[in-house]
Amino acid sequence: MKDALRLLRLMAPHAGWMGLAVLVSALATLAHIALMATSGWFIAAMALAGAAGASVNYFTPSAAIRAYAVVRTVGRYGERIVGHEATLKFVAALRPWFFARLIPLAPAALEDQRSGDLLARLKGDIDRLEFAFLRILSPGLAAVLVLAAGLTVLALHDGGMAVGIGLAALLAGLGLPLLVHRLGARASREVTAGTAQLNALLVDHLEGRAELDIYDPDRRHRAALDETSDTLIAREHRLAGILGFAGAGVGLFAQSSLVLVLLIGAPRVLAGTLPGADLPMLALLALSLFEAVAPLPLAFQTLPATLASARRIFDLIDRPPPVKEPAAPKPVPEAGTLAFAHAGLTYPGASGPALTDIDLALAPGRRIGVVGSSGSGKSSLVALALRFRAPAPGEVTFAGSSIADFNSDDLRRRMAVLAQHDHLFAATIRENLLVADPDASPEKLEAALECAGVLTFVAAQPEGLDTFLGANGAKVSGGQARRLGLARALLKEAPLLILDEPTEGLDGETERDVLEGVLGAARDQALLFITHRRAGLEAMDEIIVMDGGRIVARGAPGDMLAIVGPGTMGPGTIGSETISGGIPEDTARSAGSGQGLEQAPP
Amino acid sequence: MGAWRVWYLPLPPGGACSLPRKRGEGRIATDRKRLSAFLSGFRGTARADLGRSLAASAATGLLVIAQAFLVARIIDAVLFRHEALSSHGLELAALVGAILLRFGAVWASEHFGFAAAAKVMRALRSRLLDRVEAIGPVGLAEARTGELVAALAEGVRAVEPYYSRYIPASVLAVMLPVAVLVAVFPFDWVSGLILLATAPFIPVFMILIGRGTEALNQKQWRRLARMSGHLLDAVQGLATLKAFNAAGRMVTEVATVADDYRRDTMAVLRVAFLSSAVLEFFATVSIALIAIFIGFRLLWGEMAFFPGLFVLLLAPEFYAPLRAMGTAYHARMEAIGAAERLVALEEMPALAESGGATPLPGPEAISIRFEDVRLAFPDGRVALDGVSFTIGAGETVALVGPSGAGKSSILSLALGFVRPTSGRVLVNGVPLAELDLADVRRRIAYVPQRPRLFAGTLAANIAPGEAAPDPARLVRAVADAGLADVVAALPGGLASDVGEGGAGLSGGQAHRLAVARAFYRAAPLVVLDEPTAHLDRESEADVQTALSRLLAGRTGLVAAHRLASVAGADRILVLAAGRIVTEGTPAHLLRHGVLDGDLVPDLAPTIGEAEAAG
Repeated sequence: MKDALRLLRLMAPHAGWMGLAVLVSALATLAHIALMATSGWFIAAMALAGAAGASVNYFTPSAAIRAYAVVRTVGRYGERIVGHEATLKFVAALRPWFFARLIPLAPAALEDQRSGDLLARLKGDIDRLEFAFLRILSPGLAAVLVLAAGLTVLALHDGGMAVGIGLAALLAGLGLPLLVHRLGARASREVTAGTAQLNALLVDHLEGRAELDIYDPDRRHRAALDETSDTLIAREHRLAGILGFAGAGVGLFAQSSLVLVLLIGAPRVLAGTLPGADLPMLALLALSLFEAVAPLPLAFQTLPATLASARRIFDLIDRPPPVKEPAAPKPVPEAGTLAFAHAGLTYPGASGPALTDIDLALAPGRRIGVVGSSGSGKSSLVALALRFRAPAPGEVTFAGSSIADFNSDDLRRRMAVLAQHDHLFAATIRENLLVADPDASPEKLEAALECAGVLTFVAAQPEGLDTFLGANGAKVSGGQARRLGLARALLKEAPLLILDEPTEGLDGETERDVLEGVLGAARDQALLFITHRRAGLEAMDEIIVMDGGRIVARGAPGDMLAIVGPGTMGPGTIGSETISGGIPEDTARSAGSGQGLEQAPP
Repeated sequence: MGAWRVWYLPLPPGGACSLPRKRGEGRIATDRKRLSAFLSGFRGTARADLGRSLAASAATGLLVIAQAFLVARIIDAVLFRHEALSSHGLELAALVGAILLRFGAVWASEHFGFAAAAKVMRALRSRLLDRVEAIGPVGLAEARTGELVAALAEGVRAVEPYYSRYIPASVLAVMLPVAVLVAVFPFDWVSGLILLATAPFIPVFMILIGRGTEALNQKQWRRLARMSGHLLDAVQGLATLKAFNAAGRMVTEVATVADDYRRDTMAVLRVAFLSSAVLEFFATVSIALIAIFIGFRLLWGEMAFFPGLFVLLLAPEFYAPLRAMGTAYHARMEAIGAAERLVALEEMPALAESGGATPLPGPEAISIRFEDVRLAFPDGRVALDGVSFTIGAGETVALVGPSGAGKSSILSLALGFVRPTSGRVLVNGVPLAELDLADVRRRIAYVPQRPRLFAGTLAANIAPGEAAPDPARLVRAVADAGLADVVAALPGGLASDVGEGGAGLSGGQAHRLAVARAFYRAAPLVVLDEPTAHLDRESEADVQTALSRLLAGRTGLVAAHRLASVAGADRILVLAAGRIVTEGTPAHLLRHGVLDGDLVPDLAPTIGEAEAAG
C-alpha cells in the first residue's frame, strides 16, 4: 500500500495529462454504450410508431446516433494518443529521477548486486512502473467513471436492474480479478521462481558448456533444464487458463446482465410501467457497459508484479549512501598532497579487512607505483581516494584536510582516474572522450588518443572519432578499450592522475610505448600508478608493494626492481616455489564485458 | 480475448541494448519474411491444439449468432406480441444455455491456444538448446551470455502470443465475419450490403497504414531498446561518470533521451493509431447507418422488428474479430522482434565436434595424435596451422607459447570443443569425429582456465555428472585439491550451496574446486589449462604436488603459463602463431635457453613476484 501511494505520488506531477487520458477514455466508452443503447431504442421506437401508425421525432435520436459515432471514433483515437502522451511524459520524468537517486549510491552501495542481475531486474522493473498508468490506473479509473454514469442511467429506469447489474459489474470487475489472484497466486509464485531457476540453469548451460561437455556426458544438466522449462511452461499455461477463465467470466456476467434486463424489464413492459422501446435500449446498455469492465482482470493481474517492482526500485534508492556528504563542505584547494594515514577498509560482510594501516603521501608532482598481485588491495586504494568508500579506521586527506570535509564531487575534480573497471559507454569514441571534458576540441581529443597510443587505430576506422563502440566497448578489443579509457583519463585536467592497471590487455611492446606516451603527457601531474607488471615502474619516485591489503615493502625503484631483476627467471629458479602471480592469458577479455564466456578463444 | 486488450506501446524485445542497424527497406522486408517463416515453421507441432482452439472460437462465433437470434426473438415477442416471458421458457432456457456454452467455448479457445503455444515453446527451446551444445564452448566464447539467456528465456516466451493469439485471431478475422454475413443476408440484405461494403475497406486501410507504420514501428522498437539501453548503460557506468564529474550531466542526458524518445514515438503513434481509428470509424459508422436504415424501414413498415433487432445485435460482432486481429498484430510484431534473436542464435556456426558412434577402443590408457591439424574460424582467424604431434599413453606433454599461439586451441580440439578445419585428431588411433564423444569424455579429467561453478551443492559441483556421488571419493578429492580446510569451515560441509558464478568461494577456491573435480573423476586423460594460476603461493605448491600425483601414470596435456607446471612434463611443445616451433624435454629446452625471454613471454616475471623474492 505504501509503495502504491509512493508510486501515485511520483505520478502526481502528470495528473493533468493522466486525468485527461482517463476522461477521454471514459468518454469514448460511454459514447460506444450510448450508440448501442440509442440504436436499440431508436429501432424499437420506430417500429412501435410504424406499427401504431403514429408519428415520431426521429431527428433527435438519429442525430444523436451520428454524434455518438463521431465521439466514439475520435475518442478512441484520442484515448490512445493522450494515454501514451501521459505515459511517455511520466517515463521522461521517472528515468532521470531514478538515475539521479542512484548517483550517491554508486558504486559502493550497488556492488552487492551482481551487475547483470541488477540491470536485468532494473530494466523489467522500470518498464513495469512506466506502464502502470496505461495498464492499471487508466482502465481502472475509466471503468469507475463509466460504471457510475451507466448505472445512474439504469437506475433512472429501474432501481432493481441497476442494483443487479451493478452487482454483476462488481463481481466481474473486482470479484473475478480477486479470484484470479487467489487461484493464480501459487502458479504465479511458481512462475517467478521457475523463471529465476530457468535463467540460472541457462547461464550454466552456456557458461559451463566446457565443464558440462566433459563432466556431464549423460546430459543430466540438460535433462534438469528441460524439466524446469517444461514445468515453467505448464505453470504459465495454468496462469493463462485462469486468466482465460476471468476473461470468459466477464462475458458471462455481461450476458447474464442482459438476461436480467429481460427478466425484470419484460413484465414491466407488459404491465405498461416501462415504455416498450426502453427494453432493447436497457438490454444493449447493460451488455455494452461491460466493455469498461473487460480490461480489469488483466489490469489487476499485473498489479502485484507492478507493486513488487515498485518495492524493489524504492528499496534500491532508499539504501543509505556509502559516504556522507558534509553539511558545510570546505572549498577544495587547487592542489595538495593526497595522503592516506593509517587507513583501513573492510567491505561489508567480508571476513577480514581489504586494507590495513595504509600510509602513503602523494605530493604534487610525485609519482608512486603500487604493485602487488590481484586481490592485494590495490584497487581499494582507488575507492578510498575517490571517496567511493570511507576509510575505517584512519583517514584520507587532501591538502591537509580530511576528504570527508569536501563535497566529494568537488574533490574528484582534482583527480583524473582510469579505474580498473572503467566503463566505455555505448556511444561513439568522441562521446566517450567528451565525458572527461565536454568542451575538448578535436585536436585535444586527438592528442589524448596519441598519448594513449590509440590514435592510429581510431584514424583507421572509417568513421574515425564517430565510430560507435557498442555496449561495454564490445566492438573493440580489450586492449583498445583500455587505451581509449586511458585517453579519456588523460583528457581531464586535474593535478592528480590515478591509473589502475592501465596496460592490462596490452602486449609487452605496446605496453612500453603506451606508458612512455602517458608518462610524458602526465609530466606535471602527481601519479598513482597501480600495476602488477614491471613496465613503467623505473620512472616512479617510489614503489610500494602490497600484499593482503598491507604495504609490505616500499622504496626507490632502483632498490625495488633489483629484487625482481632480469636474473630472476634464470634456469636456476625453475620450479622454484617462490614464484607466484602470472599473466592470465585472457586479461584482454576480462577487461572487456565480463559477460562473455570465460573460455578464451585462442 | 484479444479484443479486450488495450493497444500497448510495444515493449522492447528484451536484450539490454540492441542497436539500430543500417539496412535498406528491401532488406527489412525479406528479413521479416524470413523471421515470419521461422515462426510459422512450428505450426506442425501445434496443429492439433490450434485446430481445437479454432474450433472453440468458431463455436463462440456461432453461439454469438444464436444468442442474438434468441434475444431478438424474446424482445420481439414481448414488444409486439405482448407475450409474457413464461410462454417463451424454451427460448429463455436456450439463451441461458448459449451463454454458458459461450463461456466454456471462450475459455476452451484460450486453453487450447496456449496449449498450442506451449508445444511450440517446448520444441523451440529444445531445438535452441541443442544448438547451444552444437556451437560448443569455443563458439560460445564469442557470444554474450546475457543476450543468449534472454533469447532462450524471454525470447522463446515472446513466441507464445504469436501462436496463442495471432494465428487464431488471423483465422477468425476471416471466418467469423463471413458467418455473420451468412446469418444477416437472409434477414436483411440492405444491412448485409452495408457490412459487405465497409468490410473490404478495413483490411485495405489496415494494410495501407500498417505497411507504413510497420517500418516506422520496427525503428521505434530499436529506439525504445536504445533508450532502455541508454539508462542501463549509464547505470553501469555510474562509477566512471562520478570519477569524471559527469554524473550530473548524465541526469540531463537521460532526461533528454527520454524526452526525445517521447516526441519521436508520439509522432509515430499518431500515424500508427490512425489504422485502428480507421477501423473504428468504419465499424462505428456502419453500425450507425444500419441502425438508422433499419429504423426508417421499420417506421415505413417495410421491415419486421425481429430481423431489425437481430441484425443490429449482430453488427458489432462483424467487426469484433477484425479489431481482435488488430491488437493481435502486436503479438506478431513482438514475436518477430524475438525471432530475430532466436534466428541469430540458430545461425551461429556449430563449431563443436559432434562425434560418431564408435566406442572408444583400447585399454584404459589414452593416446592422442594430431595429424596436420588446421583450425580456422568463420571470421577468418587462423588459430592453428598444420600442427602434428603425438602424446603416448601415460605421457605428459606441456604446451607453452605466448598468448594466442594456439595452446587453448589444441586443448579445445583434443576435448572436442571445436572441429578441426582440416587434418585429424585421433584418440587411441580413431578419429574423434567417429568416436562416441560421451564415451571419450567419460575418460577425461579437465581443469579449465576459468572454471565455472554451477548453482548447487559443493558435492554436486565436484561430481557434476553424477546423481549420487560417492562420499568417500568426494572427501578424498577435496583433500587432494587442498580444499579440506575450506569445506570444513563451511556450515553445510559438502552439502553447502555454492551459488551462480561461485558465490561464497574466492577465485582461488573455485579453481581448487575444479581441481577437485579432476581428482574425483581420476580419468586416464588429464587436460589442464593453466592449473595453478589463481592459487596463492602456499597452496600452489600443494596443488602442484597433488597434480603431479594425478598426472602420474596418466596421459597429460597441460597448457602451461608458469614454470612450475612445465617442470614436471615429459615433453614440451613450444608454440608460436599457431605452429609448433620446437619441442623437447624441459631440461633440454632450458639448457638451450628457449624458455626465457621472447619466445615465451607468458613465463616472464611479474611484479607480483617482487614480494615473494623480497
